[in-house]
Amino acid sequence: MQLSRRDALRGSGLAVLGLGLSSLAACSNDSAGTGTSGTTLWYWGGGLSDAVVEAAKQQFPDAGITPSKIGGDFKQKLQTAFTGGAFAPAITGVKGEDMAYFKSVAAKFTDLGPLGGTEAAATGLAWKWEQGRTADGKQIGYPIDIGPTAMFYRSDLFEQAGLPTDPTAVSAAVATWDGFYALGQELHGKVPATFPVSSLGVLWGILTGQTTQRYVGEDGSFTGDSEELHDAWRTAVRAQALGLNANAAQNLNPALADGTIGTEMGAAWHALDISDGAPDTAGKWRVADNPVKPTSIGGSFLAIPATTKDPQQAFSIIQWILSPENEAKGYADASIFPADPAAWTLPALTEGDAFFGGQKTIDIFGPAAQLVPAQFESPFDAAVGAPYGDELTKVETAGKDPEQAWTDAVAAARQVADRAGVK
Amino acid sequence: MSQAVRVARAGGFRRRSAGPPPVSARPSGRRFWPQYVAIAPFFLLFAVFGLFPVGFSAYLAFHRWDGISPVTFAGLDQFRFLAADRTFRIAVVNTLIIWVLSTLPMLAMSLGLASLLNSVRRFRTLYQVVLFLPSVTSIVAVAIFFKAMFGNSYGVVNAALRAVGLDAIGWLNGYWTIKIVICVLLTWQWVGYNAIIYFAGLQAIPSDVYEAAKIDGAGPLRTFWGITVPLLRPVILFTVVISTITGLQTFTEPQVLFGSNAATNPNSGGPGQAGLTMVLYFYQQAFSNNNYGYGAAIAYAVFAIVAVFSIVNWRIVARSER
Repeated sequence: MQLSRRDALRGSGLAVLGLGLSSLAACSNDSAGTGTSGTTLWYWGGGLSDAVVEAAKQQFPDAGITPSKIGGDFKQKLQTAFTGGAFAPAITGVKGEDMAYFKSVAAKFTDLGPLGGTEAAATGLAWKWEQGRTADGKQIGYPIDIGPTAMFYRSDLFEQAGLPTDPTAVSAAVATWDGFYALGQELHGKVPATFPVSSLGVLWGILTGQTTQRYVGEDGSFTGDSEELHDAWRTAVRAQALGLNANAAQNLNPALADGTIGTEMGAAWHALDISDGAPDTAGKWRVADNPVKPTSIGGSFLAIPATTKDPQQAFSIIQWILSPENEAKGYADASIFPADPAAWTLPALTEGDAFFGGQKTIDIFGPAAQLVPAQFESPFDAAVGAPYGDELTKVETAGKDPEQAWTDAVAAARQVADRAGVK
Repeated sequence: MSQAVRVARAGGFRRRSAGPPPVSARPSGRRFWPQYVAIAPFFLLFAVFGLFPVGFSAYLAFHRWDGISPVTFAGLDQFRFLAADRTFRIAVVNTLIIWVLSTLPMLAMSLGLASLLNSVRRFRTLYQVVLFLPSVTSIVAVAIFFKAMFGNSYGVVNAALRAVGLDAIGWLNGYWTIKIVICVLLTWQWVGYNAIIYFAGLQAIPSDVYEAAKIDGAGPLRTFWGITVPLLRPVILFTVVISTITGLQTFTEPQVLFGSNAATNPNSGGPGQAGLTMVLYFYQQAFSNNNYGYGAAIAYAVFAIVAVFSIVNWRIVARSER
């Protein structure tokens, strides 16, 4: 058959049309929920133990679990699925820093309380479960892990400076911020290449966690100009005035590796950053309490979107994945610090950590996790808090006057708050 | 099927159409429907991924939206916030500095490279490929590489500075040095692309013009300014406008250089917000802060600024053409 140009065009046109229609048809397939299409589970790399997720498939053969490791901006993709009204997973991870935001759109989620969440919460960490619960009592998140903070320090450099190296003694020495700065001056004085602070932002993260109120109050009012936060600011910028800031935010790994950083504060999961960033320093690090009281940074949840067809089954899967034994596996596999205290007594957590010279780090993180103060988190905290971080970098990299920086930070935060509709 | 049959069929179409004799545009529209179908994929994709976002963001700019909750009307609030926003002003200044610092040296270098390329005889294709490679290389990978090169303590650049007895520079900490790193990155990526375009323009200049200039006793510099630049003007105009549009929308470079290491303060443009460009600020407000209405307002402000500068540039470069 001889094809004319017109026929060829018509043919290709139809082919394109057909392609378009078939892809449209593919779009309309509803993959949400359970049933024939199975149970989709969204998490991010390192968010859950891959081995445990794999084992869950065997444990629940009828559910047809399809795990999907979502790369890139996880919140963004979940948000898109909700807005588009399609492709929402049956079970999804929610990062700790995004919880406040997703709580503000609680209608998109199933209440885990009646499914068994209430009983689980009774034996769990009260403050962490509260983080995953809305003000009117809807339990959205089932805690995966927590980020209790502590102070990591180089015992070899401490010894060189003639400072105590035992975690208990170090914890006692840095029980207050004054104590911390005194120890820091001693360390930097004796070992001039070493600094006790990696960047002001790190101190600010701990200090704001220790306040009773972050930037936005429970009633939606702006609290970013409170005296309490101003005090925290003054405490943070003291590191700059005393010359104790390594200002290493842009080159953290080299600074950790070459001993520029003598102490570093952060959540339990930050230990992995240190061991990945400076593997050659293994055995030299120890963990002690950070000054004043522990706080919490990060720590994620599993949640069930409202569109999930069999929420009870989804809940059973969540509870199995986050059972104490599997949480301990997650800690061993991916350094995911279990949110459930029942897991802390298992061997994976109680044995010594070689990176920390065989120290049983649970002795620090366990009590710290119990002591984390519950703090209200607004969905606008991250946005309203950003100017403070920006201004701190101006203090440490451009020598900006700290008081001027505070004034500018409050003014900029106020603008963000106004835009967000905060009173 | 012969040409005659095709014409007859097309005529048949016309005859079958109902009602009075149609205006000439309609039947030709019907006659060419396979062609329209053939080009439709582009327009369909453009409508979905180009036209719709443009319209929807115009709508969003007058509303509040957190990305999930119902959209509420905000009137001109977002633009009022924008007028008072000091951070946006920082972003505008940053963007303009980066644009000027990268575009002017880059286009000058491109012209130089194009002249060199025009005068070589051997391996010309190889040079062309080499020059073009950076512009098709993944910008994310390149930015990560540059971040390592300009690393504050162990970067190659600082090692080189130390080797010649100079002090190391905290490249990724300073107001100007951050901008310089971004400019070097932009220049590296686009200098070859523009050189290829200039080279194409140079090839189009007839050689007898140069020969005439040589006979008149013009030196290389005089030839360059008297012949090459005026005859290349349309090409230069094109590159200036394109560089303005892309340079003012710089986003990936600062996002990759300073995005990953700040989990608590993402997309803030690095120390002192020195790398906060207009488009990065838009991204931070919309996607990090869930303030899509404000993000849309910023996007439209960026559009206005880019339009103004493109027109100004076009007028400046085109004016001397008379």
